[in-house]
Amino acid sequence: MRITQGTFSFLPDLTDQQIVSQIDYCITNGWSIGIEHTDDPHPRNSYWEMWDLPMFEVRDPAAILVEIKACRKALPNHYIKVNANNPLRGRETVALSFIVNRPQREPGFRLDRQEVGGRAIQYTIHSYAADKPEGERYDGERTDSGNGRG
Amino acid sequence: MRTTLSSNERYRAGVIPYAKMGYWEPDYIPKDTDVLALFRVTPQDGVDPIEAAAAVAGESSTATWTVVWTDRLTACEVYRAKAYRVDAVPNSPGQYFAYIAYDMDLFEEGSIANLTASIIGNVFGFKAIKALRLEDMRIPVAYLKTFQGPATGIVVERERLDKFGRPLLGATIKPKLGLSGKNYGRVVYEALRGGLDFTKDDENINSQPFMRWSERFLFGMEAVNRAAAATGEIKGHYFNVTAGTMEDMYERAEFAKELGSIIIMIDLVVGYTAIQSMAKWARRNDMILHLHRAGNSAYARQKNHGMNFRVICKWMRMAGVDHLHAGTVVGKLEGDPLMVRGFYDTLREPHTAARLENGLFFEQDWASLRMVMPVASGGIHAGQMHQLLHYLGEDVILQFGGGTIGHPAGIQAGATANRVAVEAIIQARNEGRDYLKEGPEILERAARWCSPLRGALETWKDVTFNYESTDTADFVPVATPTY
Amino acid sequence: MECISETQAAQDEVVDIGVALRESNIQDVLGELDGELIGLVPVKLRIRQIASLLLVERLREQMALCADPPSLHMCFTGRPGTGKTTVAMRMAKILHRLGYVRRGHLVVATRDDLVGQYVGHTAPKTKEILQKATGGVLFIDEAYYLYRAENERDYGQEAIEILLQFMENRRDDLVVILAGYKERMDSFFQSNPGMHSRIAHHIDFPDYSLDELIEIAELMARQQMYGFDEDSRAAFKEYLQLRIKQPLFANARSVRNAIDRIKLRQAVRLVEQGGRIAKQELARIDALDIRQSRVFQGGLDGAEVHSPAKALQV
Repeated sequence: MRITQGTFSFLPDLTDQQIVSQIDYCITNGWSIGIEHTDDPHPRNSYWEMWDLPMFEVRDPAAILVEIKACRKALPNHYIKVNANNPLRGRETVALSFIVNRPQREPGFRLDRQEVGGRAIQYTIHSYAADKPEGERYDGERTDSGNGRG
Repeated sequence: MRTTLSSNERYRAGVIPYAKMGYWEPDYIPKDTDVLALFRVTPQDGVDPIEAAAAVAGESSTATWTVVWTDRLTACEVYRAKAYRVDAVPNSPGQYFAYIAYDMDLFEEGSIANLTASIIGNVFGFKAIKALRLEDMRIPVAYLKTFQGPATGIVVERERLDKFGRPLLGATIKPKLGLSGKNYGRVVYEALRGGLDFTKDDENINSQPFMRWSERFLFGMEAVNRAAAATGEIKGHYFNVTAGTMEDMYERAEFAKELGSIIIMIDLVVGYTAIQSMAKWARRNDMILHLHRAGNSAYARQKNHGMNFRVICKWMRMAGVDHLHAGTVVGKLEGDPLMVRGFYDTLREPHTAARLENGLFFEQDWASLRMVMPVASGGIHAGQMHQLLHYLGEDVILQFGGGTIGHPAGIQAGATANRVAVEAIIQARNEGRDYLKEGPEILERAARWCSPLRGALETWKDVTFNYESTDTADFVPVATPTY
Repeated sequence: MECISETQAAQDEVVDIGVALRESNIQDVLGELDGELIGLVPVKLRIRQIASLLLVERLREQMALCADPPSLHMCFTGRPGTGKTTVAMRMAKILHRLGYVRRGHLVVATRDDLVGQYVGHTAPKTKEILQKATGGVLFIDEAYYLYRAENERDYGQEAIEILLQFMENRRDDLVVILAGYKERMDSFFQSNPGMHSRIAHHIDFPDYSLDELIEIAELMARQQMYGFDEDSRAAFKEYLQLRIKQPLFANARSVRNAIDRIKLRQAVRLVEQGGRIAKQELARIDALDIRQSRVFQGGLDGAEVHSPAKALQV
């Protein structure tokens, strides 16, 4: 399957040039850029691993593309996304978020149902990836995958 | 005209013009803590506009048709509303804008019911006035702080859905009435699976013989969760919990919460008090609260009489809803672009300046009350995506009921078409393209690889709704509002 | 960039240098340089030469003539206050307009910005500066402080390594300008030949002449709506002659400091004088405002005593 999280997941995967354009838009708006990765793409997983700190005051998207490529190289089978943070008062949240890398095979999710009183059911989504421990979740993954930084 | 009389003259039994009773004060400077209201007054023939304005001020505060000695037991100068300015409406002979100031103590804290009962409770039937419309209000920060404001707000909603940087997409389930629970859930599943973020009950879907509410909730949540698992996204369906009594409403809302829904909806017709109660409940239970503005056009649409929708926008933001239908500009329902811009800014901005061309008569500071997500719903389709983004911006929910369910290749295809269209236009906008002008071309290009979008464009490309708006600006715009 | 043989390239293709120059818009930057900065004649000449070289390189590249991408890293030597940072900013603009850097902003860094205090601290610090400077120009002031041969626990060497890597492999992304005193830069390069070999252009910033410094003082005073009269101009010349010989003289920077202190003394004089004061008196600098300086007694002048570090900044 193909998880459709992020702002552009219904479009074909963005080329590096298109990624640079989007990052340029974020920089022009004064947003800092963060790169995050995960092997557990559950929709309620709010905290993917940070690939280093968010980048503030970086004027050239090329610098950020270098980091994206480094992250892809270190973790080719992880989901990687780019987040832009808007610090303006009253907003102070993410302004744009899109996926720039996916594992080759995405096993997706299982819906678990728990019958409770009456006809009601309690639902839980379970990601198949999380059946295996961290580091072994996708094919061809090294066991020492962590942040890959430093 | 002289303003107030000496107390001897003022309190002698009898009838005195309102303007001399202290309700007309042209030198009055409104305090920061005053509630201000702007009425469009059409006095009866022969009635002086200032007297009419003073009468409105009087009848919406302390006056009655004759002098009463008991006034003198009170600090009546404080409690009297003051009409402080009357302007003729441009190009509309016989109509006047009346500005009225109310002391904050006239109103109970945190009560929309009291605010409205005070301001519009009495005046609209007043014989001396042929027609009356409440155009706008300025709510002071001090009074705003007594309200909860939106339970969730745009920022938190986006964080809960984990969806940023694009409008959200929804669809009202069609046909409006008649589907059974299971069939209803089928439509929900297909639409969410295909790519929409939300689906929605219609305003009159409550609990009827063809489908009771709990059947809808049960089948609906199955559909929502199936779609979430299939896509990896957080999805929602607005379950309408409107009912005959508050007790029933709470029961339905609790059930929706128990089943794990992230959002519920209510209709404007439940009344201001019920809306505030539900907003409080929603905040306590981490539920997004959607409000359908059912019935507002009955009193909001005619320019000379009623209540302008922007006042409803203000009250609903104070009351605490998270979503509010506010117009589409290019769809099938009434909505002049300048006026709609005024509504959207009222809902979404932390602070709006007075802009007469958008119908914003007062500067309004929202005192950090959260932002309401406007909802655009009614006769819109994927082929208009560039116009929708241009007029309405990014923080909006675009609802394509017919535009999803009526797609020739099926509901999922309809949903996918809308989703691809919005993402493509957003991508182009971020890249710096003139997406309004190049919109059709951008959509065409996407349609080449996305056959659902191709189908949508083919089916609806000639659909427009071009009728004269009934509610338009009185003032000429100085610049066209765009995002 | 591939080499194309002479027979392949169209020999009679013509390029209009005048048009190319106009289109590049570097003339107004060069004009700004001439207008804003007093003196610096040899520097301005060098900048023009380099600009011409870069423009021609661009044209050659467009004509598909064999051209390795030119090395752009530079070294500015000279005493403090001689205009190095200002010229670096102009150079960034020129590079941007000729298309050699993508953004054309200037990031100023010293050793403290690049080097950490403990193991593992340096690399992320250096990397962060390099990220911020990507697309523009990185100006490293007093670059020789990066290298401290006597202290083997010093982490400056790591920063130098990272910089060298970047200057070599990411030439499209960044231009580095090192700056500092000439003698110290020379010995830094001796100890770091790798760095030396990557610098394409060395520009020396001579001290300002006495007349140039006076001109700078007049310009600064005018910008702040003050003015010298004949007496005070003469007094200031004497002041400068004495001050230049003293240690820690920072050219334009010292002139600016002197003007600040003159303004202070003028204010004190006017307040003590009291009474009604004509408008031009508020702007006039009197010789007294200058002669009160301790420099005339062989002492050190006001603020510069308390913060010698200030004088060291470019």
